[in-house]
Amino acid sequence: MTLSLFRGAALSTALFLLSSPPVLAGPPGASPPDVPVAHSLASFREAVRSGGPGKDGIPSIDRPRFLPATEARLDDGEKIIGVYHRGQARAYPQRILVWHEIVNDQLGGDALSITYCPLTGTALGFRRGETELGVSGKLVNSNLVMYDRATDSEWPQILGVAIDGPLAGQGLEELRVFWTTWGAWRARHPGSEVLSEQTGFVRNYRRDPYGSYNPVSGYYAPDSRRLFPVMHRDDRFPPKTEVFGLRGPEGALAITRQALREEGVIDVTLGGWRYTVIHDPGLDTGWAFRNPQGIEIRPSSLDFTAEGAIGPGVDRLEPVNGFEAMWFAWAAFYPDTRLYQGAASP
Amino acid sequence: MRTLVRALLSRPAALAAVVVIMVAYLLLYLWLTGDLSGGGSGGWQAVFPAWDRVWQRRGPFQFEPVGLLALGGLVWTFSLLNTLIAASMGLLVGLNVVAGWWLWHRPRQCRPGAGSTGLLGSLPALLAGGACCAPLILVWLGLPIAGTVASLAPVLLPGAALMLSVGLWRISRHLAPSSASECRGLACNPREGRRR
Repeated sequence: MTLSLFRGAALSTALFLLSSPPVLAGPPGASPPDVPVAHSLASFREAVRSGGPGKDGIPSIDRPRFLPATEARLDDGEKIIGVYHRGQARAYPQRILVWHEIVNDQLGGDALSITYCPLTGTALGFRRGETELGVSGKLVNSNLVMYDRATDSEWPQILGVAIDGPLAGQGLEELRVFWTTWGAWRARHPGSEVLSEQTGFVRNYRRDPYGSYNPVSGYYAPDSRRLFPVMHRDDRFPPKTEVFGLRGPEGALAITRQALREEGVIDVTLGGWRYTVIHDPGLDTGWAFRNPQGIEIRPSSLDFTAEGAIGPGVDRLEPVNGFEAMWFAWAAFYPDTRLYQGAASP
Repeated sequence: MRTLVRALLSRPAALAAVVVIMVAYLLLYLWLTGDLSGGGSGGWQAVFPAWDRVWQRRGPFQFEPVGLLALGGLVWTFSLLNTLIAASMGLLVGLNVVAGWWLWHRPRQCRPGAGSTGLLGSLPALLAGGACCAPLILVWLGLPIAGTVASLAPVLLPGAALMLSVGLWRISRHLAPSSASECRGLACNPREGRRR
């Protein structure tokens, strides 16, 4: 009798375990996050707005296909989001990502999400672990609010920290992606693959619903107005002015494109720590580093390869993620941002 | 209202006017939603690779395209449901315009200004289309009101359909047999109205 009861209980337990849906883990990350959170999570939640489309109304690309660079039909001046990871390079055309905003990809054996928000001009990469990221249809400070399909937590892209859901307060693991042109990317990575227009969805990939980057017009024009309200407004630059931004636990730093191009190497202090940002003239972007030893980097000694900037002292710097963003959005997320406009500026 | 619609559609000239307005409105609606746009590379193309997405929603009253039609510089990302919604709204607008025109040619006591409700009703639907997936109007206007419009999007299209239907109903009341005595039996007969 006791034995049969035991068998029954064991069988019931086994059946329960087998019938339970598998519990997926959320994306990997740090808690507390490595990046600053300037507003309270409750403030972010209050500032969330509907962007118009519903959840997944802007569909992420979950089974991306790629073409070799030789078969890509892209003009040299077209904007792309580039990723170089574990020796593998991929380009994601802006005119495809403007319709999807997220590509859930596998690169070098790692599960990554390549994300792009057209309303804030920001491209960021994240490790996604076993789950996928999707477009929630919501915005905060005009910025894409992503959700993860394991826990349904909500993550503003620029912030990289969950503001709602079971993982609220956790930061995502970021991965450097590059906002550049196809010509510049192909010159740096001739063997790059390119995201195909065979996305599984029907879209007019020859048209950008917001405007154009080539030449810059419509919503992307520096003086054009934003469409959604922001948590903090800063009118020091026209709203869509592009800045290069980086964050550390101590705060945020924005560097004007002009200062980065003209000075080549910028040393700046943020929260008592020294940071060094190197301009990459090939990709026209910055490589950001924490520089605790105060190593002097001379622009003339630098070379740029697929791996990034190389030169005396660079290998002793600690890489930090950085990305381009429209000024209004950067200032909205980081109202206390340090702003670097050049050595001559105060 | 049914009598009015039947009367409108039974007259070739009125029917042609309704169809022209319906098609014009449909094209405008599809253009504002982004289903119809430029960017074509010449020639023509017709592919329908995504019929499985025919019911898949993108936003309030917005559905996934199932095919792509290109002719010259024009590209139509074809969604069956978006097209049916646009055509229905266009039909309502067309009926309102033509019925309003009829009413305008009635004696003064027979035109209470009902047509304006219908024409006003055509605007929220266009805004609803533009609010979802291709905020063309808002980008052009440069107004930071997309958040407000987006939050209203779920009610804009039903609101527009309601306004257009009410407009048509109000016109029909003044052209219907019940008000014939007031209008001296001229309901649904614009030629007699003009002769007066």
